[in-house]
Amino acid sequence: MAGEKSTALGQGAPGLLRGLALPAWLCGLAFAAALLAVFQYALRAHVPGELEPGGFTLQNFVAQAHPLYIGVFWDTLLLCAGTAILSLLAGYPLAWAILRTRSRLARSMILAIVITPLFLGEIVRTYGWIVVLGNSGFLNAALAWLGLGRAEMLFTTGGVLAALVHVTLPIVVIMLAAGLAHIEPELERAAQSLGATPARGFFTVTLPLSLPGILAAGTTAFAWTFSAFATPQLVGGGKVNMISNLVYQLGFASFNFPFAAALAVSGLALTAVSLAALSLVTRRVEQRL
Amino acid sequence: MAVEALRLDGVTRRFGAVTALHGASLVVAPGEFVTLLGPSGCGKTTLLNLVAGFQTPDEGEIFLGGESVTRVPVWKRDIGMVFQSYALFPHMNVAENVAYGLRARGMPKVEAMGRVAEALRMVRLSGLEDRRPRQLSGGQQQRAALARALVIRPRILLLDEPFSALDRALRGGLQVEVREIQRAAGVATLFVTHDQHEALAMSDRIAVMSGGRIHQVGTPEEVYARPADRFVAGFVGDATVLRGRLRGLMGGTAGIEVGQAVLEADAAPLRGLSQGAPVDAFLRPETLSPGGPALLSGEVRSVVFQGGHVDVHLACAEAAGGRAVARLAPMLASGLAAGSVLELAGPSRCAAFPAEEPA
Ligand SMILES: Nc1ncnc2c1ncn2[C@@H]1O[C@H](COP(=O)(O)OP(=O)(O)OP(=O)(O)O)[C@@H](O)[C@H]1O
Ligand SMILES: [Mg+2]
Repeated sequence: MAGEKSTALGQGAPGLLRGLALPAWLCGLAFAAALLAVFQYALRAHVPGELEPGGFTLQNFVAQAHPLYIGVFWDTLLLCAGTAILSLLAGYPLAWAILRTRSRLARSMILAIVITPLFLGEIVRTYGWIVVLGNSGFLNAALAWLGLGRAEMLFTTGGVLAALVHVTLPIVVIMLAAGLAHIEPELERAAQSLGATPARGFFTVTLPLSLPGILAAGTTAFAWTFSAFATPQLVGGGKVNMISNLVYQLGFASFNFPFAAALAVSGLALTAVSLAALSLVTRRVEQRL
Repeated sequence: MAVEALRLDGVTRRFGAVTALHGASLVVAPGEFVTLLGPSGCGKTTLLNLVAGFQTPDEGEIFLGGESVTRVPVWKRDIGMVFQSYALFPHMNVAENVAYGLRARGMPKVEAMGRVAEALRMVRLSGLEDRRPRQLSGGQQQRAALARALVIRPRILLLDEPFSALDRALRGGLQVEVREIQRAAGVATLFVTHDQHEALAMSDRIAVMSGGRIHQVGTPEEVYARPADRFVAGFVGDATVLRGRLRGLMGGTAGIEVGQAVLEADAAPLRGLSQGAPVDAFLRPETLSPGGPALLSGEVRSVVFQGGHVDVHLACAEAAGGRAVARLAPMLASGLAAGSVLELAGPSRCAAFPAEEPA
């Protein structure tokens, strides 16, 4: 089947497709080679004081069984899940408002506020959060003014979580809005005409129909956060670490490239397993719809 | 007689500068099927949404079963609504869809399922309980939506252009069927359409609307044969319009001179006009017949065979717009071809209104 299809396509637009196929293959090869390089580093021994690794070993993976590393993996998973859930909770009403507001002005304002962070770049946004969360930052100044004292926010898990949610929110809102746009507004009206309060209509009609969009956005937020680096690095300040920060420390502070590579491979595997589990759930849900 | 199912008292609804509904008053009796008929944008959906409670009136009161519901939210009004797109819940099967309103009212599942089965039998969908809406044909979806709206035994059934998504062949059958189901359920119904044939075929009474106003409320026969004003006469059914003069008013009847002929018309719309004032006579196509004395004559433009009858379109200088149309039995039209000249005799009675601009 697949073979027939590709020949049919090849006959349809032979010149153009063949012309594009070569650069596509080259790009793919380059990506695969980079990944392979990481893999082969992960399977070689670290020679202290040398940049060039030694012979084949599985030691880099065995060593990860240490509670220290398992702890970072676990924290990373929790931060990813937390970020996904919080940005879904914050993003759902925003996506809803964008779709259902009658006022054009309100729609444009929400879109602007939600989407702008996407164009700011991670570093700028993260410094923004340092200014907001710092000991003499905006939030603490506000707390002090209210006479509530100061709170430790910078370099805490909560602070990192807030910054990660901010980074993820635009994508979540865009994906949720795309999913919610498929739900006919008449369905909510039908539920109300049948005697359901708006709340009941939401939980029995709107929410179930939003599930595919919620799962897609949540999955993306989860995977997106897994690769976060600058945010936990700067807002976490070494006290809150994710896998990427550990990889950075081992690779560029200790120059233990093989172990850094092995951690990266494990992180990739963990992402893949999590995504597979989520997509299984998504498929179940979509079958029921 | 029992209290009226629905009563609107001077209901007005504005959207900014647009007044979608001007002081509309209407009564629907228990079990009655009333149609809102009018061109696009005349306020039909607005009126229906006000009855349903999706909007609140700026002025006026709405009563269901004698009780004012003007400030009652949709979900407490006990209405049944069928939407243009049916709005069946895609993640529920037919039985769950139909049970939705009963469950929202807190009815236990077992009891609800009994009522659902009964409603599905009524719309002849028994056996399709487990299907999802997308696995139903258009007509079946329509009947499922009808069952869902009827199973809660609503105080009024509201239908907004429920046939517009269906092809012509299916419509006729469903019109008859919906009317039979409605009659069996004995539910007062407000039906919206811009299709005059649909309105004439289905309704106990028709409310003809335009520009946010209800122009006339009457049985299909009344609206067709005794239109209250020019708009109704022009919108419901075809008509040839001839300019004439008012000869005089006698009781409820007016005499109209059109050329050499004298026609009778309802006097009500012409009160206040002086003798000799210009009036427009509206002639239904089936009241025109070949022969003399000729009321009008013209060159045949086209002969359109319609099965049971033939529509003959004439170019006619004395008619408004230069066009006239006659509906003849196929036998009478057999010799006619485009280009031939046809003389038509008129009826003794027609509808007439003050001329729009002085002759
Ligand atoms: N939400 C709204 N905001 C502003 N104007 C509206 C709104 N709803 C309706 N209108 C206006 O009110 C008038 C009546 O609209 P309505 O939808 O009731 O017409 P309708 O008779 O149902 O027409 P159609 O046959 O096209 O459905 C129109 O001029 C319309 O533009
Ligand atoms: Mg409408």
